[in-house]
Amino acid sequence: MPQPLLDVADLSVRFDTDDGMIHAVDKMSFTLGAGEVLGIVGESGCGKSVTCMSLVKLLPETAVIEGRALFEGRDLLAMSSRDLRRVRGRQISFVFQEPMTSLNPVFTVGRQIGEVLQRHLGLSRVEARARSIELLDLVRIPAADRRLDEYPHQLSGGMRQRVMIAMALACDPKVLVADEPTTALDVTIQAGILDLMRDIRERLGTAIILITHNLGVVADIADRVLVMYAGRKAEESPVDDLFAHPQHPYTLGLLGAIPRPYEGDDTRRRLQEIPGRVPSLRELPQACAFAERCRRATELCRTEIPELHEVRPAHRVACFHPGENAAV
Amino acid sequence: MTAVDTIAVASPRSRRRRLLRKRFLRRPMAVAGLIVVLGFVVMAAAAPWLAPYAPSATDFNALLAHPSSNHLLGTDSLGRDVLSRIIWGARASMQAGFFSTMLALIVAVPIGMIAGYYRGWVDTVVARITDVLLAFPFLILAVGFSAILGPSLLNATLALGIGAAPPLIRIARGETLALREEDYVPAAIANGAGDATIIFRHILPNMTSTLIVQATVTIPLAIVGEAVLSFLGLGVQPPTPSWGTMLQDAQSYLAQAPRLAIFPGIALVLAALAFNVLGDGLRDILDPRTTR
Repeated sequence: MPQPLLDVADLSVRFDTDDGMIHAVDKMSFTLGAGEVLGIVGESGCGKSVTCMSLVKLLPETAVIEGRALFEGRDLLAMSSRDLRRVRGRQISFVFQEPMTSLNPVFTVGRQIGEVLQRHLGLSRVEARARSIELLDLVRIPAADRRLDEYPHQLSGGMRQRVMIAMALACDPKVLVADEPTTALDVTIQAGILDLMRDIRERLGTAIILITHNLGVVADIADRVLVMYAGRKAEESPVDDLFAHPQHPYTLGLLGAIPRPYEGDDTRRRLQEIPGRVPSLRELPQACAFAERCRRATELCRTEIPELHEVRPAHRVACFHPGENAAV
Repeated sequence: MTAVDTIAVASPRSRRRRLLRKRFLRRPMAVAGLIVVLGFVVMAAAAPWLAPYAPSATDFNALLAHPSSNHLLGTDSLGRDVLSRIIWGARASMQAGFFSTMLALIVAVPIGMIAGYYRGWVDTVVARITDVLLAFPFLILAVGFSAILGPSLLNATLALGIGAAPPLIRIARGETLALREEDYVPAAIANGAGDATIIFRHILPNMTSTLIVQATVTIPLAIVGEAVLSFLGLGVQPPTPSWGTMLQDAQSYLAQAPRLAIFPGIALVLAALAFNVLGDGLRDILDPRTTR
């Protein structure tokens, strides 16, 4: 098996707050191959974003990060902040959820993309401008040379997200972390952005980590999916297998909560919610974190943490009672 | 059709500038303020050519003379032309006003931004010291500093600059605290920007309009402050003309020639008022919340 591009092992992130420790991520491990699209799925607050942001220390200082994250053989978590700055935006880039506010309102788009190019690649102003035009072309913004001189408020949300992606791709990064890149956008625009990301992966070979709570988005673009719950990995699988044979009751719950168009003429299907709430992250139970909300839970689930085990090829699940049947 | 094309082609920068100009011109008070301010600036810069007499030239045939065609605003107790002295006096006022405000900005903005950006103990120390300094009225502070530094226009300017810094520190700190929470800050960090880049290239430009407005309200304070310091003998030294020293000289002749106090007084009030009105106008047009 070839060396993965990113190899994260036993990553734990805690926040030291006035109310005590908050365990945001607990012993996460995952790998990302070159050119692979990994979807990370879960409810709000389950640690998806924190996992990715901890890799290049984008978290506040109250965060305590443990574990190992090898990127091309170098441990990101052990790097000095100076070295990390060279990784951020250069090797590992981020696209955030809020395209409306993630661009600095007082600078033109061209200047903001140019800033990244000048910083990381040492391009001159003129070179940076030429490259910026290429980048805007790449993210399919029409009339790129004119758009370059516009301010963020003159662009629509979808345009701005494209600009953010162009900025993230400016230095040809190996990994692009897209944190809910389509959540704030109209559905029609979402499809365009996803299309663009797929295109980028194919043309540039950029590996993408796609953080989302939308399984539909994952189905559309990801190769492999990682389902997170309360800071832990619940299930990990190639995308087709996950949808065909979901194993973890939480994954089943997520799938049941996807709205589908009215099918056939029999009874209308009611959207299934998952009862209960995400547990407090103040203290992680020495048990399955999902046990409280799970219909399959037994005494075992409440006393022991389920280990991740392989149920089908490359399909791993952390559950004592895995199975595809929702009625179990 | 052609009009539409021109608008579409015009660069956004020039479009914004045009919009600001239009908004500014719709405020007659602000325009009047700007005209008066420019008038004083020109007066200060072109004093040698504008003033009918040398500021210290004495005419012993016309002591305490009434306004006449020879001396439009009359003369003082030494027979010096009041109009010429007011014109020359604008120099001291404008110098003190501009340079002390500039000094205050140069001192205050980096301190306030560093405190607001890094927070922690730096912030605590800066905020407490600022609070203590803010407890003293601006003029008391300026008088205190210039008493330490010694009397001269340069020292008065320094004293006024330091005295005007505390409120600016507070404003820069507050703005930074708010702006560092904007989404483009983490976005810039994620793109590999260092602290200096974030502070000076991302946060500072976003607070320029606030700073411009603050500067235009600090300038009149400094102008009045210079007059007060000169009046107290801590600023411009006689015989160099300044509105403050003119008021000081006028004191002894208030009964015989109140105009000696009234004319420089009017100049002072007019200058301070014009800057304030201009500042208000700028705040209105630069603050997006008051956009009509």
